[in-house]
Amino acid sequence: MSEAIEAERTFYDKFPKEARIVRAAFLSSFLALILGAIFGIIQTLHRTDVARIIPSTDYYTVLTAHGVFLVISFTIFFLVGLFTWAVVRSLDRPLLNTKITWTWYALMAVGMTMTGVSILAGFTDAIDMSADVLFTFYAPLQAHPLFYTGLAVFIVGSWIAGADWFRTWLAWKRENPDERIPLQTFMVLTTMAMWYIASSAVAASVLIFLLPWSLGLIDQVNPTLTRTLFWFFGHPVVYFWLMPAYMLWYTVLPKIAGGRLFSDPLARVVFVLFLLLSTPVGIHHQYLDPGIAEGFKFISMTNTMFLLLPSLLTAFTVVASVEYGARQRGGSGLLGWLTDLPWRKPEFTGMMLAGLMFAAGGFSGMVNAGMNINYMIHNTIWVPGHFHLTVGTAVALTFMAATYWIWPQITNKPIYSRTIGLVQVVVWFIGMALMSNAMHAQGIMGVPRRTAEPEYSGFEYATMFGGFEELNIQIAIGGTLLFVSTVLFIGNLVLTMGNPKVSGLADPLPPALSGPNDSPKVLDNLRLWVGIALTLVVLAYALPLAAIIQRGGLLGPGVGTYPVWLSPALDALANTAVSAFGAVGDASASLVEVIR
Amino acid sequence: MGRNETAHASADDVSGDTEEFDPIGTLTLIGIYFVILVLAWVYIYYIEFLGRDLVVVG
Amino acid sequence: MHIHAYEKLWLAASVMLILLLVGSVTYGAIGPGVAMVADSEPTIDAGGLDEDERFSEPRVEQVGENEYEAYVVSFQFGFQPDPIVVPENSTVTFYVTSRDVIHGFEVAGTNANTMVVPGEVSEIKVEVEEPQEYGLICNEYCGAGHHAMEGKVNVVSQAEYEDRTSGGDSE
Repeated sequence: MSEAIEAERTFYDKFPKEARIVRAAFLSSFLALILGAIFGIIQTLHRTDVARIIPSTDYYTVLTAHGVFLVISFTIFFLVGLFTWAVVRSLDRPLLNTKITWTWYALMAVGMTMTGVSILAGFTDAIDMSADVLFTFYAPLQAHPLFYTGLAVFIVGSWIAGADWFRTWLAWKRENPDERIPLQTFMVLTTMAMWYIASSAVAASVLIFLLPWSLGLIDQVNPTLTRTLFWFFGHPVVYFWLMPAYMLWYTVLPKIAGGRLFSDPLARVVFVLFLLLSTPVGIHHQYLDPGIAEGFKFISMTNTMFLLLPSLLTAFTVVASVEYGARQRGGSGLLGWLTDLPWRKPEFTGMMLAGLMFAAGGFSGMVNAGMNINYMIHNTIWVPGHFHLTVGTAVALTFMAATYWIWPQITNKPIYSRTIGLVQVVVWFIGMALMSNAMHAQGIMGVPRRTAEPEYSGFEYATMFGGFEELNIQIAIGGTLLFVSTVLFIGNLVLTMGNPKVSGLADPLPPALSGPNDSPKVLDNLRLWVGIALTLVVLAYALPLAAIIQRGGLLGPGVGTYPVWLSPALDALANTAVSAFGAVGDASASLVEVIR
Repeated sequence: MGRNETAHASADDVSGDTEEFDPIGTLTLIGIYFVILVLAWVYIYYIEFLGRDLVVVG
Repeated sequence: MHIHAYEKLWLAASVMLILLLVGSVTYGAIGPGVAMVADSEPTIDAGGLDEDERFSEPRVEQVGENEYEAYVVSFQFGFQPDPIVVPENSTVTFYVTSRDVIHGFEVAGTNANTMVVPGEVSEIKVEVEEPQEYGLICNEYCGAGHHAMEGKVNVVSQAEYEDRTSGGDSE
């Protein structure tokens, strides 16, 4: 192999301009991570009644901040950095114009700052601004217009980012007309195609309904319609978070394990399946909604169940690639090879533990998807138990673990302490195992999610797998470990930034065992897949959306407006009064005047 | 190598058909996972869910 | 395209797993007859519940032998009626709506669980057995006082139920 010369050059050496952008995106992501973690620990200790340092009415500000900062800022900033790296690295060519790149980065940063400010303002009565509507922002609870505006700006930024990568790929294609799309670029392009389809709905919901409504231009909205548009986006967005983790599992993890990807064609098939199936499933978040026919729910369920397929295939391909690595390192036996893996590398152990957690999350996901069994766990803490395994570990822990590998590539600085890194990923795993397990168990008992005080005066929860109190302690210990793990991660990274630049850190990625030329050419036909994806979306959503609009009208069946932007105590009073007198429209209009 | 590696890789590396790698360990692990999934599903659906109070029938 | 034999085996197992899942859900719908809350009820004017025949006066009503209907209004931050009292060994259909924002209606620890969306009426029918007191909670964030939103569903003996309904006008 002629890697000797290549091996001396890192991504930073070859593409310093792009490396700067990747670093900027990662740093924005980690800033959101630390903020999200602080709100996370406040929330964990509050909910479990270990330490209630804020009034319970402020809990929802904390919850909104925790959700938005982690699942929007942390994940998406990391992935735009990672995708920039992946496109440039796998095409081995610079971006067309880094001014455009900095433009989308700035748009995303400004948008997120606007949204963040509108959320954090909820802590003080001095500013009449709040966005205590949680990540799901269901109308008719209404956030300050700045919240919606910021989200729209952020999403537009991500669209330009996608266009930036598509343009770079097209330029490469002109230079290399006969070649297959390199795997990482293929993954980025299919993921972004899915993102364009998915985010169009939430953008429409915000721009057509929620933003004009929060500005007082329209009096009311249809809560079922805006909810449905949210979940049109809200399910594929979880795959938007997950695809970069999959990319790392497919293209980086095998290398770290000492091997190479088992099958390039299957990786492509998996990403195509996600493009096709991620979106026409959102109604499975609305199994218990009135106003949506059971047939639509059933269709959504079967689509969702088939969406298991690419993940189950991924489990096989990734583990097989790791096994190949172990065998290359001399591993033998049916399972004995597991001991021949580089468990001391934080990037390896972190990603493997993340994958293991994802396997567990796969099970609770099947329950979530199972239509009628949803009665048992809908809106219980089982659901956050599930997504802390998926986005909270499969994605978050993979990103952190990958940072230990990729950060030296984009900075030429070695990690300050790989031992701390190893401790950090293991602590995350233990913390999440405790917290998530207890959340699932409480969910089966009927303990609700999204509440400051899950204990009620009128009844006691039944005991199962341990009592309510005991499970609370598990959640509190788990949450605390997760916070400690985040602090270790950020601390290690800050110390790494102080390291001097060195050479010899390059770690190029090997090709797959079964290469791209083994896969049918049709897999690279993005137009075809986008066309089919759109068709499936139309099939899954045209009738439900038409039925919802026919039932309630575009602007809803006379539902009021409930702004959360006054101080919480006043807010509750105001709402009660407003609903009692039915003078909702006027009140919101006058509120808008006050804000202006 | 190293440049556009996935795109250039095929020629020398896809000797896959001749020296086949059999991921028997993977098959074992994933088989165990499959059994756990089936048992856990049967438990949670048929015992935990269908066995509890106030089943919604209409 | 070359796919390893083991991977084909796993693909087949995966498809079987998916069929088991869809099959179980279908069995649940056909066998025990689990039905989804759906669009059975027309929309309603959330601002005009005071004039609605069923919801101006939230209550439990007998509609047949051992058949009862409960008209429940949820609001920031409570349920009406509270408690919801129904007799043992009967079939109860809950009609739940909201007069303000989106709420949840969850009889804690049971399968009676639905979203409550303003402008819509959620209809869920359950069979109750022995006398028992259940907690009723809102499981959807509905504003700053969300955690205080709770109620009760009390399944009482026939005798006690008759006492309550004939004994006073309060129910």
